Amino acid sequence: MTVSIRGLTKRYGPTLALDHVDLDIAAGEVHALLGHNGAGKSTVIKCLGGGTAPSAGSITIGGTTHDALDPRSSIAAGIAVIYQHLSLIDRLDVTENLFLGQETTTAGVFLRRADQRARAVRLLERVGLDVSPDTPVRQLTIGQRQLVEIAKALSREARLLVLDEPSAALSPVESRRLADLVRLLKAEGIAVLYVTHLLNEVVELADRTTVMRDGRVVWSQPMAGVSKTDLVTAVSGRAHGAAVAPRPVDPDTPPALTVDHLQAPGLHDVSLVVRPGEIVGLYGLVGSGRSRLLETLFGRRPVTSGTVAVDGRTVRVRRPDDALRAGLALVPGDRLRQGLFGSLSSGENTVLRVMSLTARAGWRRPRAEQEVFRSTAAAFGLRPADPEVPVSRLSGGNQQKVLIARWVNDRAGTRVLLLDDPTQGVDVGARAEIYEVLRQVAAERGLAVLFASNDPDEVVALAQRCLVMRQGRVVDDLDMRHTGEEQLLDLIHTELEPS
Amino acid sequence: MTTASPPTVDGADRRTPSTGRAAAPSPVAAAAGWLVKNPLLVLLVVMVAGVQLATGSQLGWGNLRGVFLDAAVIAIVAAPVAMLVIAGYIDLSVGSTLALGGVVAGKVVQSGGSPLVAVGCALLAGAAVGVVNAVLATVFGLSSFIVTLGMLTAVRGVAQLVSPLPLSNFGEAFGFLGIGNIAGIPLPALLAVAVLLAAGVFLTRTPAGRHVYAIGVNREAAYLSGVDVRRIPFLLFVTSGAAAGLAGAITVARLNSAPAGQLGAGFELSVITAVLLGGIALTGGEGSMVDVLVGVLFMGLLRNGLTLLGVTTFWQNVASGLALVAAIAIAAGTHVVRGRMQAREAHRPDEPATAG
Repeated sequence: MTVSIRGLTKRYGPTLALDHVDLDIAAGEVHALLGHNGAGKSTVIKCLGGGTAPSAGSITIGGTTHDALDPRSSIAAGIAVIYQHLSLIDRLDVTENLFLGQETTTAGVFLRRADQRARAVRLLERVGLDVSPDTPVRQLTIGQRQLVEIAKALSREARLLVLDEPSAALSPVESRRLADLVRLLKAEGIAVLYVTHLLNEVVELADRTTVMRDGRVVWSQPMAGVSKTDLVTAVSGRAHGAAVAPRPVDPDTPPALTVDHLQAPGLHDVSLVVRPGEIVGLYGLVGSGRSRLLETLFGRRPVTSGTVAVDGRTVRVRRPDDALRAGLALVPGDRLRQGLFGSLSSGENTVLRVMSLTARAGWRRPRAEQEVFRSTAAAFGLRPADPEVPVSRLSGGNQQKVLIARWVNDRAGTRVLLLDDPTQGVDVGARAEIYEVLRQVAAERGLAVLFASNDPDEVVALAQRCLVMRQGRVVDDLDMRHTGEEQLLDLIHTELEPS
Repeated sequence: MTTASPPTVDGADRRTPSTGRAAAPSPVAAAAGWLVKNPLLVLLVVMVAGVQLATGSQLGWGNLRGVFLDAAVIAIVAAPVAMLVIAGYIDLSVGSTLALGGVVAGKVVQSGGSPLVAVGCALLAGAAVGVVNAVLATVFGLSSFIVTLGMLTAVRGVAQLVSPLPLSNFGEAFGFLGIGNIAGIPLPALLAVAVLLAAGVFLTRTPAGRHVYAIGVNREAAYLSGVDVRRIPFLLFVTSGAAAGLAGAITVARLNSAPAGQLGAGFELSVITAVLLGGIALTGGEGSMVDVLVGVLFMGLLRNGLTLLGVTTFWQNVASGLALVAAIAIAAGTHVVRGRMQAREAHRPDEPATAG
């Protein structure tokens, strides 16, 4: 066994991110690691890469047992982690990146550039990357950068290669090339831990698969004789996959949001309706246009032609302020960068917009603002329900509740709530609460909810209707009463195989 | 007074806040907490007490009046500049804008204009400089540091073009603006109090004031929340220019002369120093008008104290510079202490955790 992980446990405050995880990866084996967001996959990766120290347990690699690794000892132990957000330095060229931190030198001072360059050529050949070693990394595509990272791992003679959702940002052609390379490395005897969402990749590449849920290993088997259905069952874990039957919405209700033949950069002829009280999922991969559509509706991106109507009234949206005035609000995908004012209090974060609406003659009315915070905090189960806490100190789920409360309260007048990836970075328990909040705002306040997601489980759990997006178009409109997780996974599958 | 831990960098945010408020702190702990939050105020009190004990003259009204006169001009400009810093911008051009406002006011008075018209013209001249800064920094999105640094030099030139020769002798009516008293209090100090109060009320009591903080903390999120992320900084630049113009008129009235080349030289640094001393971070998003007031008074009383103690000018400069560095180091240190205090509260085991 090249790598043995035993009893790996990671505790963040009161929460267990990892609970006695055991994992074995043999030399020459591709071991797939599956699980929902927040299942603990990324924590395993961080323990391996030395990004965080486990609270208990051990990692044995090549006969040496470690209680904890730091980035340097992880590299020395032969572990190479290729993170989703690649860690190359844009301004340096390929050779410089390959040997960053392990430069070949004369007398420990002078770079031996010619030497390095020659080695770089051999490494690039090995990973099948056809670019000059003198190319600045910023000129490479994501797929090419990934290959440079793998070449870097090879130059360090890695025994375990960890790939974190490597195909997430790749074109189908690049994905296939990556799969070929993984097979090649496997043949060379390198152990590969392959973390992914995509079941097809698992079926195609993996020798063995481990599934995680809520920080535990719930399933681990060799792939011989395992079908995709088995994997879906293991990943979703029927227990909490059972969705509350959504209240059907009368199809004759006049829609709250009507989008008619919308054209915009990256979007092609999008038409859709969302009725009051309806929750609709926009489902598609990264790059399918789901986030772009939401941002275009919200005025963050320009519209070329077509119309958008709220409650039957056509609205012209040129910037977010226009959208908000028209009753269209967006909870953005990147909570920290686009949503929250980290050092300001959760009260202030909640009332930031309604402050202007409750004000009289330009003066704030603290009472009205407190009432908005108090009522939404109670309705959404915000914890702690204290308006003075800096919002950066709340958990992901509670931060998300604050952002929803910013748009959905007695004063805001929001008619259509758009959410991009509503449970990103939110743990399992909190995710159920967010779903509950969204169901509540749809049912009780009659809001039209349109959310974008690439997680089929989320769409199944939350949506009454699902619009499938591909290459900037809405290609399917599914009634979720008759659609399961597996069908959605199949839809992702067809996207990866260009017909 | 709350709990919970900073967010994790983990893809999955698994931390849950241990809920609710901490138990009511003891008075001693509360006092300690307050001291840690306001370190400069503590230093200020200690310093004044020390100087008063050593010289017996700092707290005399005659001495304080002089200190307030000096501090007033800085405070009038520091208030809007601090708001710009809170919003994530800076204005370095105020020293030269002060000179321009001063010579414009001087010219108006010398050509027979009333003091009020002179002040109005000084405000307009300053506001005009502010508009140029604002257009470059907010409409074109250039770095406000670079824009206002350039304007610092350019506007100095304009002031010298307006008045190549030093002006002087503006008469008693105009002089009242600089040295006059109302109810025994110097007029400039009253103006400074008015400016600080207005700015403080604006920042805390109006939506636009809160938006200044929102823009400074997270401009992108502010834009996506429908905040007008251009208009507010635009108006702040104009205000800062106008305030510098007013400060120019006051200075000229007090000196009874307007040398375009020297007027307000280095003034922008005094303003920025006071703002930073007050604890307003250059990274934006935090600070209040109380901080500005404390910063301005600290600077004024430090210099005055050193003078009373008989320290020579050169050593005064050394001391003022070191004081700035020390104040910022102390602020950073107390920040760390505060973080530790919060972290300790967050990790108290007696609080049962609720799933988040």
